[in-house]
Amino acid sequence: MRSPVLPLTWHLARSSGRRGLQSQLLAAGAAAVGAFVMLVMVAAALGSGARADHTTWRTPAAVPAKEATAVQALATTYVRDEPVSVVSLAQLPGRGATDAPPGLSSFPKKGEMYVSPALAELMGKLPAGQLADRFPKVKSYGTIGAAGLASPDELVAVVGRAPTDPALSKAADGGGWYDAGQTERAMISDFSAAKPKASLFTESDQGAALLGVVLLVMPVVVLASAAGRLGAARREQRLAALRLAGATPRQILAMTAVEAAGVGAVGALAGAVAYGALLPVLAEIPYGVGGWYTGQLWVGLPWLAAVVAAVTVLITVSAVSMLRQVATSPLGVAQESNPRRTRAIRLVLFVGALIYIYMSSGGGQLNTRQLITLLILFYAAFWLFGPWVVDRLGRIVARFARRPATLLAARRLSDDPRGAWRTVSGLVLAGFVAGFFSVSQLDIGFADTPGQVGVVTSDATTARHTATEARTLLREAGIQAKVTIPGDDNFDTVLRGYEGVIAHVTGGPEQIDAAVTALTPVAAGRLPLTQDYVNASDDTITDRVAAASTATLALSFLIATASAGLTAAANVLDRRRVYGLLRLSGTPLRTLDRARIRETVLPLVVLAGGTTGMGVYGAYQLNKLADSTINTSGAIQLTVCVLLGALAMFAAISGSRPLLRRVTANPAQTAD
Amino acid sequence: MSIVLAGHGLIKKYGSTMALSGVDVEVRERDSLAIMGPSGSGKSTLLHVLAGIIRPDGGQVLVRDERIDNLGENRLSALRRKRFGFVFQFGQLLPELPAEENVALPLMLEGVPRKAAVERARRWFAPLGLEGLEGRRPGQLSGGQAQRVAIARALVVEPDVVFADEPTGALDQNTSTEVVQLLTSVTRSQGAALVMVTHDADVAAHCHRILQVRDGRISGHSQYTVA
Repeated sequence: MRSPVLPLTWHLARSSGRRGLQSQLLAAGAAAVGAFVMLVMVAAALGSGARADHTTWRTPAAVPAKEATAVQALATTYVRDEPVSVVSLAQLPGRGATDAPPGLSSFPKKGEMYVSPALAELMGKLPAGQLADRFPKVKSYGTIGAAGLASPDELVAVVGRAPTDPALSKAADGGGWYDAGQTERAMISDFSAAKPKASLFTESDQGAALLGVVLLVMPVVVLASAAGRLGAARREQRLAALRLAGATPRQILAMTAVEAAGVGAVGALAGAVAYGALLPVLAEIPYGVGGWYTGQLWVGLPWLAAVVAAVTVLITVSAVSMLRQVATSPLGVAQESNPRRTRAIRLVLFVGALIYIYMSSGGGQLNTRQLITLLILFYAAFWLFGPWVVDRLGRIVARFARRPATLLAARRLSDDPRGAWRTVSGLVLAGFVAGFFSVSQLDIGFADTPGQVGVVTSDATTARHTATEARTLLREAGIQAKVTIPGDDNFDTVLRGYEGVIAHVTGGPEQIDAAVTALTPVAAGRLPLTQDYVNASDDTITDRVAAASTATLALSFLIATASAGLTAAANVLDRRRVYGLLRLSGTPLRTLDRARIRETVLPLVVLAGGTTGMGVYGAYQLNKLADSTINTSGAIQLTVCVLLGALAMFAAISGSRPLLRRVTANPAQTAD
Repeated sequence: MSIVLAGHGLIKKYGSTMALSGVDVEVRERDSLAIMGPSGSGKSTLLHVLAGIIRPDGGQVLVRDERIDNLGENRLSALRRKRFGFVFQFGQLLPELPAEENVALPLMLEGVPRKAAVERARRWFAPLGLEGLEGRRPGQLSGGQAQRVAIARALVVEPDVVFADEPTGALDQNTSTEVVQLLTSVTRSQGAALVMVTHDADVAAHCHRILQVRDGRISGHSQYTVA
């Protein structure tokens, strides 16, 4: 016999009227936001890897001299604090032709130069004395294509030179500890490597983005879970009635699953479509070296399908788990007599998990995988603990409540602590993320040498000669600077103890850039150094973690706000009868509204405050391990973010006030 | 006994449908009035207009000679809260509040301190046969018990008029009789008037008067002497 589940589900869904449609739209909206956020984060993680792959050709992979066909040197210079990667290439005479590097139409001959579009634009915008004059005067310019660039905003130059050019000499090999990834030289035969090494400026992008993905998984699960429970009261009552009419538990669960999966899939697909449509906008968001090529952010159909499926499954599981009560106790649910209380075992498990985390993390430095595992465990533990706290909080506040709105809010909390927890959990977890990352910026800050431009020399004698030359060049360029030769034990300068010359430049970034440009000819195979160059390795990691945490925080707030708004609206719809009758009996709308807001504010303040404090404490411990202090600007950022998050959440809840007003405004519409 | 509630020439339209066509009605202290009529006759509309829930398109509603149909929404809300009590078919109790707090809620809304409000609420439990159920939530009460809690909540503010809209519609015959007896007797003993919409003649028979409504007009008026 044909199963009645599908036709009956379809019939009930169609006949659920405007109220049912509203709930389904809200659930689909939540699924859309969840799928969108996850796709954006997956895109950021995959795209970061893809664009890092586009930079591996610039790091020369050495081959034995007899196999080499060309010489390649990577140098890095900075303009307006942004790195410019300069790749010098020379074809060796009498050797086979070397293939063109990725993004170039041919291997550059001496006198040919290729530049990225962003660098070409910048060279046109800035005076030649601040940038263009750092490069040799060439016969022809070409453009580096997307295949050779990580980002359309990346500043890259490829210069064709003679093999004997100083820029390709052994002096161009770097050798300083801060040169790694910025100044390297090798004999090469092509631009592929067995173990490709990405540019310093893209290699940490994917790791930071992955951390964001891990941190956002739980908030997305929360949102999807909330979506699965939207309209729960309506569905519960309807299906409880069906249960009483003789439907089997399996049929009820199947109907719920089919309905939730349908709504979830439609919403998740809408989120996926929004992601696809917004790709060009998303590509404009800078991360690391700049914006993205749109194609880099396309996750591909398998990932798209996986995220849509995952969100749909989450919503379905959430809806089905909610209905287990109907299957087991139809009368209880139909009459709403089962308070959803929590047990103290949650506290025990939470404490156990915290002890385990403490003992696991106390033994020494953790690797990324261990850290992420513990973070997930922490989330899971808090997921158990949250409803228990909400339940207790509700009971305590109810005991001391003096005003009706507070009493209503407190009773609601202890009546359905899991529901209240779900509403705030997004922001509670976002608070933890914010607390952790905003103050855990590992800002070690090796060099604090503003205004210094250094030129590395092979020895002290050369340094003296270079100093004279530098003074002349700087004077001719009209740059105010004092040129000195620091001793080799002077580690406080931009040279960090290496032999060379330092120009102490007076003025802003323009003067620094002009000094770097003016001193380029005397650097003999090396480009002049600035503070940006020396700090690049640490600054890049700090910058990426900060950027990923900011993006994570922003997206967490988006999710939390969506969760709060949707749940608030769903609650109004699910409770419209009781709200309507209360208002009809003279209960002021503001009392109902205050109760709704306090129902969210109470757990938010206690739990979000608690987790934010925990996040700050965790970050403080991490900073201590790294011998660093708490980042003050990060702390300010945290405060602003929490305030904005709370405001967004209240705005989202308040957004359902017109709905409350509307559904309670005219309880007597019939002509009877 | 003086008139506590009066409607004169009440008119209410829903689009082209005339729900009330010039209805006149008066209710005195301790009076009980049942409004009956077929579905769509306008009986619920009449109750809602008299209770200040919806405004009439014509005519006047007076509570102790004070006109209320032209009051603002806030004043109407306050009037309903302070001087009227309401009993509906079902669903008027907040499921998360225990019975005693459901009854105390209107007092708390009026600014009575919680402790005093709950104490006053508890006084209603014994007379209504609800002793021992003060801490139960609505979901843990039977239909009849829930309606008695609703009656307590309607009366706790010592209203001038109690409005009841099909208060026994969801109850079985025996429970229905018990509830309506309680409703009429306790309302009367409190000196309040009762205006009740019902489709059940047995329930209506517990009231002093029955008003028959048909097509938005009074089609009949019976008077009983109820003990």
